[in-house]
Amino acid sequence: MARRHADNRRTAPSDPDMAAALRILRPHLGPALGPLTFSIVAAVAYTLLELAPIWVTLWLVTLTVRAEAAPGDFVAGAVLLAVTIPLCYTLYGLSTEKSHVAAFRMIRSLRLRIAEHLTHLPLGQVTDLSSGASRKLMIDEPEKLELVVAHALPEGVGAVLMWMVVTVWLFATDWLMALATVLLVPVALLAMGLAIRRSVPNMAAFQDANLHMNGVLAEFLRGITAIKVYHRAGPAIARTATAIRDFAQLQSDWGRQFVPLGGTFYALILANITVILPVGLWSLHAGWIDLTEFLLFVILGGNYGAPLMRLFNLFGQMAHISVAVTNIDHVLSSQRQPDTGADLPLRGHEVRFDAVSFGYGEDGDTAALRDVSFTAPGAGMTALIGPSGAGKSTVAALLARFYDPWSGRITIGGQDIAAMGQTQLMETVSFVFQDTFLFRGTIAEALRFARQDASHADLEAAARAARAYDFITALPDGFDTMIGDGSGILSGGERQRLAIARAILKDAPVLVLDEATAFADPDNEAEIQKAISALARGKTVVVVAHRLHTITRADRIIVLDGGRCVAQGRHEELIAQDGLYARMWRDYSATRSARLQTTAPAQEAV
Amino acid sequence: MVAVTASGRPVQWRRIWLLAGPEQTRMLRAMLFRLMQSFALGLGFAATLWAIRDLADGREITQIWLWQITGLAALSLAGQLGFSFLAVSDAWQASFRVCGTVRLALLDRLLALPLGYHLGRERGDLVNLMSTDVDALGTFLSDGLGRVVQAFGLPLAILVFMAAIDVRLALAMALTIAIGVPVLAQTSHKLSGLGLRRQSQQAETSARVVEFVVGQPVLRAFGRQAEGTARFQGAVDGLYAISVRLVRALVAPVMVFVAILMLGIPVTMLAIAWTLGGLEAGTVLTALILAYAIYAPIINLVSAMEMMRIAEASLLRMDAVFDQPVPAPASPTRSPEGFALSVDDVSFAYDGKTAVLRDLSFEVPERSMVAIVGPSGSGKSTLLNLIAHFWDPDTGTISIGGVPLPELPPGVPMDQISMVSQDVALFSGSVFDNIAIGRHGATRQEVAAAARAAQADGFITALPRGYDTELGESGARLSGGERQRIAIARAILKDAPIVLLDEATAAIDPINERALQEALIALVLDRTLIVVAHKLNTIAAADRIFVLDRGTIVEQGSHTELVAQQGLYARLHARKVEAEGWTLSS
Repeated sequence: MARRHADNRRTAPSDPDMAAALRILRPHLGPALGPLTFSIVAAVAYTLLELAPIWVTLWLVTLTVRAEAAPGDFVAGAVLLAVTIPLCYTLYGLSTEKSHVAAFRMIRSLRLRIAEHLTHLPLGQVTDLSSGASRKLMIDEPEKLELVVAHALPEGVGAVLMWMVVTVWLFATDWLMALATVLLVPVALLAMGLAIRRSVPNMAAFQDANLHMNGVLAEFLRGITAIKVYHRAGPAIARTATAIRDFAQLQSDWGRQFVPLGGTFYALILANITVILPVGLWSLHAGWIDLTEFLLFVILGGNYGAPLMRLFNLFGQMAHISVAVTNIDHVLSSQRQPDTGADLPLRGHEVRFDAVSFGYGEDGDTAALRDVSFTAPGAGMTALIGPSGAGKSTVAALLARFYDPWSGRITIGGQDIAAMGQTQLMETVSFVFQDTFLFRGTIAEALRFARQDASHADLEAAARAARAYDFITALPDGFDTMIGDGSGILSGGERQRLAIARAILKDAPVLVLDEATAFADPDNEAEIQKAISALARGKTVVVVAHRLHTITRADRIIVLDGGRCVAQGRHEELIAQDGLYARMWRDYSATRSARLQTTAPAQEAV
Repeated sequence: MVAVTASGRPVQWRRIWLLAGPEQTRMLRAMLFRLMQSFALGLGFAATLWAIRDLADGREITQIWLWQITGLAALSLAGQLGFSFLAVSDAWQASFRVCGTVRLALLDRLLALPLGYHLGRERGDLVNLMSTDVDALGTFLSDGLGRVVQAFGLPLAILVFMAAIDVRLALAMALTIAIGVPVLAQTSHKLSGLGLRRQSQQAETSARVVEFVVGQPVLRAFGRQAEGTARFQGAVDGLYAISVRLVRALVAPVMVFVAILMLGIPVTMLAIAWTLGGLEAGTVLTALILAYAIYAPIINLVSAMEMMRIAEASLLRMDAVFDQPVPAPASPTRSPEGFALSVDDVSFAYDGKTAVLRDLSFEVPERSMVAIVGPSGSGKSTLLNLIAHFWDPDTGTISIGGVPLPELPPGVPMDQISMVSQDVALFSGSVFDNIAIGRHGATRQEVAAAARAAQADGFITALPRGYDTELGESGARLSGGERQRIAIARAILKDAPIVLLDEATAAIDPINERALQEALIALVLDRTLIVVAHKLNTIAAADRIFVLDRGTIVEQGSHTELVAQQGLYARLHARKVEAEGWTLSS
């Protein structure tokens, strides 16, 4: 019943927050501390063990150069490594596993936090999330955050530690040779930096083209039925194909600018043997180092760039993830709806709107309701009428506190609904929803959702009143039939009647319904009408109505137009006023008698 | 390092290779350049080892030798930079172009698929397929392939170099590669299977997590937040358990692979110990250094394999589109005579098993009106979709002017039929564009005239920019009734002789509804009309009414005849009359 207006409040973040991933995860560190510590300790241990092959190799190399090596030394080295290598990768494995466990715990905690936050957001904001957006919010985005913790830790810690140990070792051995070993790293970083700088102007154009292409693709796919029906494939496909080709072209241009220097980064960072070798030989020649030391640089320095490359890739990933978790960020930063938790004494169940204004946008100028005031008498029926966009559904949504009004007051039985606790409000008001969501379970469980202690006789009585009894008992397992979202056992009309049976069990004194959605299944209209009649008996009813004959007996009809209340009264009074309502009634009557015909002039003007 | 995607069945790499067409050479060249880059790095190692061997033999360092080695090192560096530049340029350019080609091919295929394929499909999936999935393929082509070549390039050079010096030591080094790589290949295969299992487990649990959001109104309405949260927690715990189990299953084999490879170092040491008596110091040093250098590149295979698994998962989704059968146009084609419509012995099932329509036959003469009524699920809308050629019937034929739909010249069925359905497809573009799509080259006057006939002119001119107002996601929002009047204007402009009308079920306000009704009356005049009716009063003037129940015609006749028959139609009608007399009260 909440109006759909999904994507209007999402303001694009002006500056991508590269550390957003860390900011979102930080509060959830607690439950992950154990495995996290283990992972880091294991990462340190495996990194040290990774040095064993280097150390053993160097030791044997030294012995060989001194011509002191015996077969026993090689066997000893091999045995040592045969122990350390499996141990090293076992620890690596454990570190990875624990870091993943830590990541999953943080994500679990984050998901629970999002869920907890959602239950305190205005309901309208929650129903605005499409199932796609819900999926992104609850599944995809948290999953992406996994990488940050699960990979950054064992790999990042290992890479940093390895880089530090090797650097210290190199410089402790010979500073000139050490400089020769690391020389290419700043050069490589410089190349990458320049490459990024050079391609930045194009990067923006590139991202625009990417967005443009995805937009055109989405548009093409959205219109594909129309395109096919009107076989306008030519122009539509030409536009889409152009977007695809343009994007490929821009990618190429961007690539051409980036590759000469950016591609160099990856080659340079692995190429330091080509510097170590000549500098080493010249140093040997000058007598600054001996052969053993030279060999140390060859072995140790040859792989110097590898941990740095790993770190570079990790940083890239993290920035990438940070800009991709916008849904979580958006939801977690949304204002909660205050809940007093109070249970206030009500004087009857009269509903009053007192100068209520409200709009869906955050800016003050797009009001959906302006200064709407009316009273819906207790235990009476009030109908909301008006052209589309008049604000009828908004009134219903506000009454259920899907949103809170910008200004004005809504009261039930004299109490402001914002001062009532959510629980009390929900016990007081029933709605017949747009889309009847049924959790998986049996029909009896679905009905008991409304009243846990309901006896089987209560269920049967409610089902009978809601005209649901016959189809339920016709099912193989009757009230014990398993139903659930997407099970396809129940038709739309049947689900609707189940929802009504549930509302009957709940027996709240105020009932809000939207005719457009309550009667979404025209083939079962009569059945649903009977169910609604049973539900409405003795209640304060507020109904959004389109089929005017259904509300001719309403105690009060509120006529809305452009967000304002333009008239109110009983059917006969409003007809007599000859305003908007009278015009709608004439249109309605004309429509009811209209006939489609292919042969004769259809009908005379009314 | 560990991420899984599923590939349960063989993936069509061949199709991508064929689509690559002229880029094939470039891709091969890129791999060759990568290999050359590895060999250039190998040259640096070779020069180093040459120097070490000679030094171990006690060679004096002379100026000329120094310059020789320095020259070799410079050559190696230049070679690495040059070949890397060439390799990356080629790989990227080829990958960008192949992605473009694949996107265009997907586009062609989507357009060729029957309309039915596009009905009720999640558009987001297809958009993702064409953007994200193609990108994943591109990443593998631009990055992954090169990594695979690099993983084997340097080790290959090292093994050849080592074998030239001492075959036994080369064999020792190769031993763990020969064991490890098949283990990784096998593992990769198993991981794919595991990924598939996880996907289905995860899909199930994810559905329950999403349920929490979608079910919020119900949870709150009945004060069951606690229960909802408990269910949610259960689902989230389930996801956690699956993920942890999966990581355990994934990490172990990868680590086994790396450990096996690295054990090559002690194996080589043992081989040296075994043969030590006959080896020169230079050979021993060479073997030790190379044993340390050979395995690191191969370990990178793990990440290349991961890219490949991700690309394969994407390819699999592309295959699902490419493998959809495209209806073949019949040849020769015939032109229809007139536009009477006949449905002859038609049966249809969406899934090939559960028949939605059974042996349906009827005729619709030119300019007559036929209405189809029946309870929900009786197959009414499906029948309209078949007539509009969204699908081909499983058996039987549907003909226009005596010619079966598949034998009509391409485009003719669509030219002859206007369809106005409940679900109006507007696309991004102006209001003018959305109406003008009905007739090629329509002028502003023609569009405005159609809009007037469709009772749409009034609300269109009231829009901020009139006919130039942008519609669609970011554009103006129209109400359901307004959208339908745009669709009717489109159909009026198109002026097709046959109109298929699926009457709207959703209630709209009386002013809109009346305008809509009048628009429809203008549209159907003088045409062949087939209408799926929910409000029986609109079809009282139909020449013939077919009553559909569970996919077959159970009654037919005019309104008066059917009411007199006291059958299903009479019952439906009675209930409608009852419903229309109902008033709500508290």
